[in-house]
Amino acid sequence: MYAAWTVKHKPKSLKYVVGNKEVIQKFVDWVRSWEKGIPKKRAAFLYGPPGVGKTVTVEALANDFQVELVEKNASDYRTESAIRRFAGLASQYGSLFGGKRIVLLDELDGLTGTADKGGVKAITEIIKSAQCPVVLIANNAYDPRFSNLRNYCLLIEFKKPPAGEVMKHLKRICAREGIQADENALKFIAQRSEGDVRSAVNDFQALAQGRKRLTYEDVSWLGYRDRQETIFTVLRMIIYGKTCVGAKRAVDMADVDIDMLFEWIYENVPAHLTDPHDLARAMDALSIADVYRGRIRATQDWSFTRYVIDYMTAGVAMARQNTKTRGWIPFKFPGRIRMLSRSKAERAMQLSIGYKIKRKCHISAVRASKEILPYLRIIFKNNANMAAGLAKWLDLDPEMIEYLVGSKKKAEAIIKLLS
Amino acid sequence: MSFEMWAEKYRPKTLDDMVNQKEIVERLKSFVKSRNVPHCIFAGPPGTGKTTAAICLARDLYGGAYREHIMELNASDERGINVVRETVKTFARVRSIGEISFKIMILDEADNMTSDAQQALRRTMERYTETCRFILIANYSGKIIEPIQSRCAPFRFTYLPREEHDQHLRQIAEEEKVKLLDDGLDAIFEVCSGDLRRAINTLQAAASLDKPVDAKVVYSITGRANPADVQKMIEIAMNGNFLEARKQLRDMIQKYGVAGSDIIRQIHTEIFRADMPEQWKIKLADIIGEIDYRLVEGADEEVQLSALLARLVEAGYELRKANMV
Ligand SMILES: Nc1ncnc2c1ncn2[C@@H]1O[C@H](COP(=O)(O)OP(=O)(O)O)[C@@H](O)[C@H]1O
Ligand SMILES: Nc1ncnc2c1ncn2[C@@H]1O[C@H](COP(=O)(O)OP(=O)(O)O)[C@@H](O)[C@H]1O
Ligand SMILES: [Mg+2]
Ligand SMILES: [Mg+2]
Repeated sequence: MYAAWTVKHKPKSLKYVVGNKEVIQKFVDWVRSWEKGIPKKRAAFLYGPPGVGKTVTVEALANDFQVELVEKNASDYRTESAIRRFAGLASQYGSLFGGKRIVLLDELDGLTGTADKGGVKAITEIIKSAQCPVVLIANNAYDPRFSNLRNYCLLIEFKKPPAGEVMKHLKRICAREGIQADENALKFIAQRSEGDVRSAVNDFQALAQGRKRLTYEDVSWLGYRDRQETIFTVLRMIIYGKTCVGAKRAVDMADVDIDMLFEWIYENVPAHLTDPHDLARAMDALSIADVYRGRIRATQDWSFTRYVIDYMTAGVAMARQNTKTRGWIPFKFPGRIRMLSRSKAERAMQLSIGYKIKRKCHISAVRASKEILPYLRIIFKNNANMAAGLAKWLDLDPEMIEYLVGSKKKAEAIIKLLS
Repeated sequence: MSFEMWAEKYRPKTLDDMVNQKEIVERLKSFVKSRNVPHCIFAGPPGTGKTTAAICLARDLYGGAYREHIMELNASDERGINVVRETVKTFARVRSIGEISFKIMILDEADNMTSDAQQALRRTMERYTETCRFILIANYSGKIIEPIQSRCAPFRFTYLPREEHDQHLRQIAEEEKVKLLDDGLDAIFEVCSGDLRRAINTLQAAASLDKPVDAKVVYSITGRANPADVQKMIEIAMNGNFLEARKQLRDMIQKYGVAGSDIIRQIHTEIFRADMPEQWKIKLADIIGEIDYRLVEGADEEVQLSALLARLVEAGYELRKANMV
């Protein structure tokens, strides 16, 4: 089975915790100060947004310093008496064998209900008499419930690490998993996570698990994340459906249109139907669904849509006769859509080159971008001299040159020839 | 260092330099001689000299300052009715000064004009006949509305015959010091079928590879389904790797712009050459035929062809099973 990468690749040492360097140093200094006697503040209150490494910092520190960590989170101390029992640990000098210990009360935001008032009060009392470092963690230390408690704590605020720091962590996972990932793919994931390292790691696992290489195209569809869950459920209902009705019903659940759903199914069927006969039947069903799409276009009669749905859902579900269910197979974003959306920006670029050609060649920009541009591309890829000459003659911008040669380095070489 | 697109560099400057289209050239020359030009439609396939003829006519008529007397407007880029109204009117209504009292408006790729725009154009043509003559250029004159057609002198351009095509290309190759081999020339004609713009562009792109231009070089640069690629894709499918085969198909269609009909034709040829039981060939031919028909009807090329690939996967699987017992 697959282990969650947030656990598998959790930093075991502070040197692998990314971001918040000064904040962590402040925390380390405070823990160190216990070696010289009990400091004024016997508790540290780490707070900040989720997934930035508060818990992991305490765990890694305990590991680095070789101290015992007694860790509880809110669900463990629902009642006041539970807290008192647990907190007793903090009032002893150390563990049975004379080692040092740190007591961690995690996820204080989760303290609710009856435990709430008395609970916070109990914690405050424990801190007052603590004989070892007590660490509290919550998202919001300024919750009014904590106003008294705060007086006894060293407040340490964790901020969202910048994307560059998040990337460092992802790169470490790459190295450990043997994955080759494009720099800009990692950057995309990191930026999207907005400093939430946990969600970045989860996204990254969903995309990269089981692969050797991860490109930008593989990740750029992450924008669809919220819809991802639903579409995966829908695909499962269709590809693994047992009845026609069940498979057809999936369409109502999908929050994408029929054409987009078709693309999702078309992309994912082959990886899930490995028996050649099943595969052939499923692709056949999809091709017939496509024929009905054509009939809709030809007649403008949308009532044919029901046959499109029959074939792309029930047709695909019934294709499955021999394929055995195997382990988890990830669903992929439709590759063709990825290509299409990329080509939108590409078409704009092509047209602007088309306008440059038009000025010289008595041909429309539209046609030039379709008929002449492909030749330019061949020339630019093969012959820097000729390319430079044509770039000058056509008065092309550097980006256009780069687009035509397909590489920044080669473009620079051509531009150099220009001057 | 001086380079241009060769198609431009070798575009004829006067009617005398035009290759072929003899009758057309003769008629146009008679217009020059009489210093009068009617409205014209130049129709015919691409790269046969329509635009060139229009510009040569203007140059021969007006001489060196011909640019002041003509305007080129391309309907593919400006299809709307307003452009015709405004641009054309502004240009057409101001009388030309000089010996010839009219200007020439060249409306290129006019078959891309909306019919509304053409209606507007018709009125403009009538109104300003005194001061402006129109040359409409189109691939299909059928797409020009009847009332305009009836006001214009029609000229039909045809593809250049093989000899003149070859001679023209050989001449360019010589000027540019490119080694153009016979089979390279065959391939260019095969791929471009007499469209001189494409032929010259193909020659230039092939020449950029800096080696003698033979058939292999020509096919390698023209988005034609390369028989070797199709063969490889079939092989991958028959070996059971559907995903890889579909990826190759997708690349051919999306990256290299190969037409689905071209691919299916190749598959059809390959199947009959392939090493498989005869019954299978005819079974597959039936499927290929059906899919070919669907493509003609406008179905999605990748979806249809990948259904065929899945059938090839199945065929390969069955064959392996049969061989094992
Ligand atoms: N700064 C970080 N450096 C490395 N990994 C991190 C960091 N922050 C979070 N993680 C990853 O996310 C998981 C959850 O982080 P955690 O420390 O529990 O976040 P918080 O306590 O701030 O909500 C960790 O187990 C680790 O895998
Ligand atoms: N009849 C011709 N004689 C000489 N060159 C031609 C002829 N037809 C086409 N060409 C070449 O092809 C190019 C494109 O021709 P053009 O007149 O623009 O074609 P279209 O018929 O599409 O308007 C020209 O620049 C020229 O080099
Ligand atoms: Mg935590
Ligand atoms: Mg033209």
